[in-house]
Amino acid sequence: MASTGERPRTGRARARLGETWRSFALGTLSVIVLLSVWQAVTAGGYISPIFLPSPLQVFRQARRYVTDGSLFWHVMSSGRRVLIGFVLAAIVAIPLGIVLGTSRVAKALFDPILSIIRPLPSLSWIPLTILWFGIDEGQKYAIVFMGTFASALLYVMESTRRVDPLLIKAAQNLGATRVDVLREVILPGSLPGIISGLKVCLALSWTCVLSAEMVAATQGLGALIWFAKDWNNMALVMVGMVSISVTVLMIDTAFRAIEDRILPWERHQRRRD
Amino acid sequence: MSTVIVADRVTKIFAEGRRDEVAALQDLSLEVNEGEFICLVGGSGCGKTTFLNLVAGFLSPTDGVIYLRGRRIAGIEPRAGMIFQSYALLPWKTVFGNVEFGPKMKRLPKAERRAIAERFIRMVGLTGFEHFYPGQLSGGMQQRVTLARLLAADPEVFLMDEPFAALDAMTRQVMQEELIRIHEQSRKTTIFVTHNIDEALILADRIIVMSARPGRVKTSIQNDLPRPRHVDMQLSPRYLELKTQIWGHVEEEVRRHIEATPRDPGER
Repeated sequence: MASTGERPRTGRARARLGETWRSFALGTLSVIVLLSVWQAVTAGGYISPIFLPSPLQVFRQARRYVTDGSLFWHVMSSGRRVLIGFVLAAIVAIPLGIVLGTSRVAKALFDPILSIIRPLPSLSWIPLTILWFGIDEGQKYAIVFMGTFASALLYVMESTRRVDPLLIKAAQNLGATRVDVLREVILPGSLPGIISGLKVCLALSWTCVLSAEMVAATQGLGALIWFAKDWNNMALVMVGMVSISVTVLMIDTAFRAIEDRILPWERHQRRRD
Repeated sequence: MSTVIVADRVTKIFAEGRRDEVAALQDLSLEVNEGEFICLVGGSGCGKTTFLNLVAGFLSPTDGVIYLRGRRIAGIEPRAGMIFQSYALLPWKTVFGNVEFGPKMKRLPKAERRAIAERFIRMVGLTGFEHFYPGQLSGGMQQRVTLARLLAADPEVFLMDEPFAALDAMTRQVMQEELIRIHEQSRKTTIFVTHNIDEALILADRIIVMSARPGRVKTSIQNDLPRPRHVDMQLSPRYLELKTQIWGHVEEEVRRHIEATPRDPGER
C-alpha cells in the first residue's frame, strides 16, 4: 500500500525483477529443449524430412529469404493489410459500440443485424469481396474489416455496458450532465475493456488476412506459405509460420506498451496482481 | 432555525403490485434544520439507505414528497451530495482529479478548481497524495478522498450512507473525529446513516431511530452531549444513559424485524 513508503516498494520491485528473469530463463530453456529434440528426431532420421523439415533446414531457408529482403517484404504486405483493415474496423466499431452500449433503442435496432453478421467466418466473405473489390488490396482490407468488425463492436458494447452504474450515479450526484458522464465516466471506464477486446480482434485480423492471401494474393505471408506448399517446400512453409508468430508477438508487445501509457491507473493494479 | 429538508409522508414500495412487493418506507415524515447533523439509526432493512437515495434523487417516492429548501426533489439532485459506503471514486482519476470533479462540473476556471481541490485535500490530510490513484490507497484514505470530493463540490446537504462501515475499528474512530472537526468548520446540514449507536452518539445533534420495515420515524432523540466531542466521553453517565435509551428503541425494532422476516423455506 502507498502509505508504507518508498523502501518496501523498491524491495518488491527488485523481487519482481528477479521473478521476471527467472521466467525468462525458464522460457528460453524450454525453447532450446524443443529445438534440440526437433533437430535430433529429424537429423537422426526418425522422421522423414518430407513430413517435417529439420530446424536447420528451416533456418537456412529463413536466412535466404531474410538476406534477399523478400521475407521482410511479405511481412510488410500482410502487416499493412492487417493494420488498415483493423484500424478501419476499430474506427467504425468504437463510436458505434459506445452508442449501442448506452442507448437501448439503438441496441434494439442493431442487435438482429449484428447477430446475423457475427457468426460468419471471414473466409465466407471471400467470394463477395472478390466480386466487389477484385483481388486488389481493397479486397484484403474488406476481408479484415468484415472478419473483425462484429467482434470489435461487441467488445466495445459490452465494456461500455459494464461500467459500474454506481460511478455514473456518483458523477451525476456531483453535477455531471449526460455528456459529462459519457466523457468522464463511460469512456475511461470502458477503455480497458475496449483495449483488451481490440487486442483479441488484432489477432483475429491476422487470421483473416492470411486466409485471404492464401486464396488470392501474390504477396504476403499467406501467399508465401501457399506458394511454398505448391513447391513442396515445407521448410519455407515453416519460415512463414514462424514469421507470423514473431510478428504477432512483436505487435502484442507494442500494444502492451501503449496500454500502459494510456491506462496509467490500471498499471499499478496489474503490477500488484 | 430554518428547515432545509422536509420529508412529508414519504412512502416507497419496491416492485409494487408484484408478489415480491416490499414496502421499504411508510409515511415517513421528517424535518432537518439548517446546519444540523442527524443520524438515522435502525436495524438492517429499516429503509435508512432507501431514504437517503430518495433525498439524493436516485429513487423517486411511491407516495409523498421531499423538499430541499422548499424545492421538490425530482431526479438526481446535485444539491444533496452523497458519500457511499463503497467510496465510488473514479479509478482513472487521481486523488486530485477526483476532488476536482465537482468544481469541474460547475465549469469553474482551472485556477479556482485547483485552489479548491488543494484546500480540501489538505483538510482531510492527504497532501502529498494528490497524484495517487484510488487503487493505490487504503480504505480509510479512499474514504477521506470522498469526503474531500464532497466538500469541494460544496452541495447544500451532505448525505452519508454508512461511510465508515467498511473500515477497521481504529481507522473508523479517527475518521469520526475528523468528520466532527470538518462539520464544526463547515456546519453543513448532514444526514448520516449508521447502524452503530456509538457512532451516532459521537456525531449527531439529533438521532432518529427508525422502525422495522416498513420504515418510519420511531423516535427522535436530541443528543445533548457537549461539544467538542471525543471518544473518552463514552465513559460519561449521560452517554450511557442515552445509549441505553436508544438501544431500548432499536432492540424492540430489531426483534420485531427478526420475527416478521419469513423463514427461508429451504431452511430446516
